[in-house]
Amino acid sequence: MNFAGFICDNTGLVLEYTANHVSLVIGVLLLSLALWITTGLLISRHARLAGAVIGLGNVVFCIPSISLFGLFMSVPGLGLGRRTATVVLVLYAMMPLIRSVHAGIRSVDAAVVNAGKGMGMTNLQLLLKIQVPMAWPAVFAGIRVTVVLITGIATMATFIGERNLGRLIHQGITRGDADMIVAGALIVSLIALLLDYLMGRVERIIISPGLRYQSLEPYRGSA
Amino acid sequence: MIHFDQVSKTFAASQRPAVDRITLHVKQGNICVFVGPSGCGKTTILRMINRLVTPDGGTITIDGRSIMQMDPPALRRTIGYVIQQVGLLPHRTIAQNIALVPELLKWPRDKTEKRVLELIEMMGLDPSEVGHKYPHQLSGGQAQRVGVARALAADPPIMLMDEPFAAVDPIVRLRLQDEFLRLQQTVQKTICFVTHDINEAIKLGDYLVVLKEGRLVQTGTPIEILTQPEDDFVLSLLGDDRGVKILDLTRAETLMEPFENRLGPIKSNGHRVQSIDPVKIALEMMMQKNTDEILVCKGTRPVGILRWPAIKTHVNRISGGTV
Amino acid sequence: MNFDMDLFSQALLQRAPGHIAEHLQLVIIPLVLAILIAMPAGILLTRPAYRHHGRRVMSVFNAGQTIPPLAVIALFFPLLGLGYGPAILALTIYALLPIARNTVAAISAVPAEVKDAARGMGMTPKEILFRVELPLSVPTIMSGVKTAAILTVSTAVLAALVGGKGMGAIIFAGINFFRFELVLAGTIYIGLMAIVLERALSLLEGLLTPAHLKNRHGAHRRAA
Repeated sequence: MNFAGFICDNTGLVLEYTANHVSLVIGVLLLSLALWITTGLLISRHARLAGAVIGLGNVVFCIPSISLFGLFMSVPGLGLGRRTATVVLVLYAMMPLIRSVHAGIRSVDAAVVNAGKGMGMTNLQLLLKIQVPMAWPAVFAGIRVTVVLITGIATMATFIGERNLGRLIHQGITRGDADMIVAGALIVSLIALLLDYLMGRVERIIISPGLRYQSLEPYRGSA
Repeated sequence: MIHFDQVSKTFAASQRPAVDRITLHVKQGNICVFVGPSGCGKTTILRMINRLVTPDGGTITIDGRSIMQMDPPALRRTIGYVIQQVGLLPHRTIAQNIALVPELLKWPRDKTEKRVLELIEMMGLDPSEVGHKYPHQLSGGQAQRVGVARALAADPPIMLMDEPFAAVDPIVRLRLQDEFLRLQQTVQKTICFVTHDINEAIKLGDYLVVLKEGRLVQTGTPIEILTQPEDDFVLSLLGDDRGVKILDLTRAETLMEPFENRLGPIKSNGHRVQSIDPVKIALEMMMQKNTDEILVCKGTRPVGILRWPAIKTHVNRISGGTV
Repeated sequence: MNFDMDLFSQALLQRAPGHIAEHLQLVIIPLVLAILIAMPAGILLTRPAYRHHGRRVMSVFNAGQTIPPLAVIALFFPLLGLGYGPAILALTIYALLPIARNTVAAISAVPAEVKDAARGMGMTPKEILFRVELPLSVPTIMSGVKTAAILTVSTAVLAALVGGKGMGAIIFAGINFFRFELVLAGTIYIGLMAIVLERALSLLEGLLTPAHLKNRHGAHRRAA
C-alpha cells in the first residue's frame, strides 16, 4: 500500500478536503455547544422534560446518518451541501451533549447543594457556582465523545455534496483504489485524535484538579 | 494451634518490611488480637494465615502443618474470614451468602439449609425476615452479623477477623462486641482479630499482640500489657485512662480485705459486689452511693470488704502515681 | 418538496421489505461474532496475567472508535472485494469495541472487597469469575451489547456501498436519485429493526440479571 504516495501526488486536493472537513466539524461543534449545553442546563431542573429531550436525542441517534442526510436534503432551504450537513451533525451532537450535561448536574452530591443552599445561595448561584463547575468533568467527557463522533460522521456528508475527506473514501470504493481509502480514513482518524487530544488539554486547564475524571469510562453509547 | 516462626514480608513497592521476623503462637480456643496503628502490619499478618499474602521468609504452621503445603482455596475453606467492608456478594440473598462455603465444600442441600437457618438465628436475626433479603437492604450492623455467620458456616476451627466492627457506629459496635464474646463462649473458635482500637483489643482479647512498623513490640494478656507496658509506644497506645482500664480488668476479690474466718455480725451499708466483678463497678458504686467501702460477696456469702484507699494504692503503684 | 405518495407506498410495501432479511443477516452475524470474540477477550484482559495490558489494549480500542464507520467498511473492501464478506468482517470489528470495553469496565468495577471476601472464603479464580464477577457484570455488559446492536443496525446501511446489499440499497438509491420517499421508507424499517432488537436484548438481559441488580439498575449503572 502506498497511501503516502497518494497524499503526495494529490496534496492540493487532500488539503482542500481536510480544510473543509475541519471547518465543518468546528462549526458544528461551536453551534452544538452553544445550543445543547444551554438546553441541557435549562432542562436539568425538570426531570420529566429532561427525560423527553434525552429520549428524542436517543431516537435521532438510532437513525443512520445517511438517512438523516437524505431526509434533510429535501427540506426546502437546506438542499445539497453545507447547510444540511451542519443541521444533521448538530442533531447528532444532541444526544451525547445533553446527556452528559444532565448526568453531570445530577451527579452533583446533594449534600454539596444543600450546603450551598444553607449558605444562602440563590438557584442561579447554586447552578453557576456549584452545579456547573462540578458537572464539568462529565460534560467534558461528553464533549470529547461528540468531537470524535462528529468527525467520523462528517465523512458521510460527502453523499450530499460536501467536498471533504469522506470523498476520498467514497471515490476510493468506486475506483477500487485502496490507497485513496486508507489516506482518507487515516486523515479522518488523525483529525479525531488530534481534536480529542486538544480537548483533553483544555480540560486540564479548565477543570479543578479536585474533580479529574477517570478517562477509562465504560462505553455507554445510545443504550 | 497457629504458629509463626520468623515470618517476614516485604511488599514490592516498599523498602521497609511490612512484617519483620514475627514469631508467636496462637492457642486453641483463644481470641488473639493484633493491635497497632495503621501500617503496623497487622492486616498483612492476618492475610498470611489464609495465604491471601505469601510470606517471603519464615514459616506459618497450623496444628504443626506448614500452610505452604496446603492448596490455598482448600486452606481458606477451613478458615473463616470476616473483613471490615463485609464483602457480601451483592447478587446473592443473605441465605445464599451464608451458604457459600458449604456450597464450595459440596455439602448436601438440606444440611446447608439447616445450617443457614441455625446461623441466622444464632446471630439474633429472624430467618424468615432476613433470609431472602439482599445485602443492600441490610443495616451496617446486620450486614456485619451476616458476615460473621457466613464465616462460621462450615464450622471452621479458625476465624480471621479484620477490623470487623470498625465500620459501624459506636453503639452498634459495643453491642456487636458483646454478642461476639457471647458467641465465642459457645463456638470456642481459635480467632485472630485485627483492630486499631486498643479498647476493643482489651475487651475482646485473651491475648494481645502489639505491633509497630511490622515488628512485634509486646505480647501478653490484656492485664499484663496494661500493668507492665514494655515501652513508651505501648504506654501511649494504652492511653491516659490506663488506670481505669486496669480497674476494669481487676476482680474485686484481688483488692479486698478478706474476712478471715470472722464470725459475727458484719457492719454493712448494704452495698455489695460479687467477688469476680471488676473493681471499676465497685468504684462506680462508691461514687454513686457516696461511700468508701463496699461489701464483696461470693453468691450471697460475704467474703471481704473493698475500701477506696486500697484501690487508690493499687492504681498509684502500677501507673506511677497518676491517680 | 413534493411528496410522491405512490412512490413512498411502493417503496415501503414492496421494495424495502425485500431487504429486511439481508439487513438482519448483516446485523445478527456480526453481533454474534463480536460477542463471541469480545467477551472472552474482555474477560482475559481483566485476568491478573494480562491485566497490565488492559490499559494499552483499551486505548487501542478507543483509537479504533475514531475510525469513521465508512472507513472501516471501505478498508476491508480492497482486501476482500465486493459482497457480504468484507461488510460482515467490518461490522464485526465495529461491534467488538463497545462489548469489549463494557466487559472490561464491568469486571473491573466489581468491588475489591467482594472479590477479597470471595477469595478469603476459598473460591478458586474460576469460581470467582463465574459466581461473582460475571453475574455482577451482566447489566453493564448487556448495555454494551445493546449499544453494539443499535450501532450495527445503522452502520450496516453502509454495506450497500461495497455490494453487501441490505436496507442501505434503497436508502442510497434515494440519495442518488434525490428521492426522499425511498430514504424515508428504508429508514422506517431501520428504526423498527433497532427497536425490536433492543427490546429482545432487554428481555434477554432480564433473564440473565440477578434479581437485586434489577431493582436498583440505575444505581448500579451509575456506579459502574
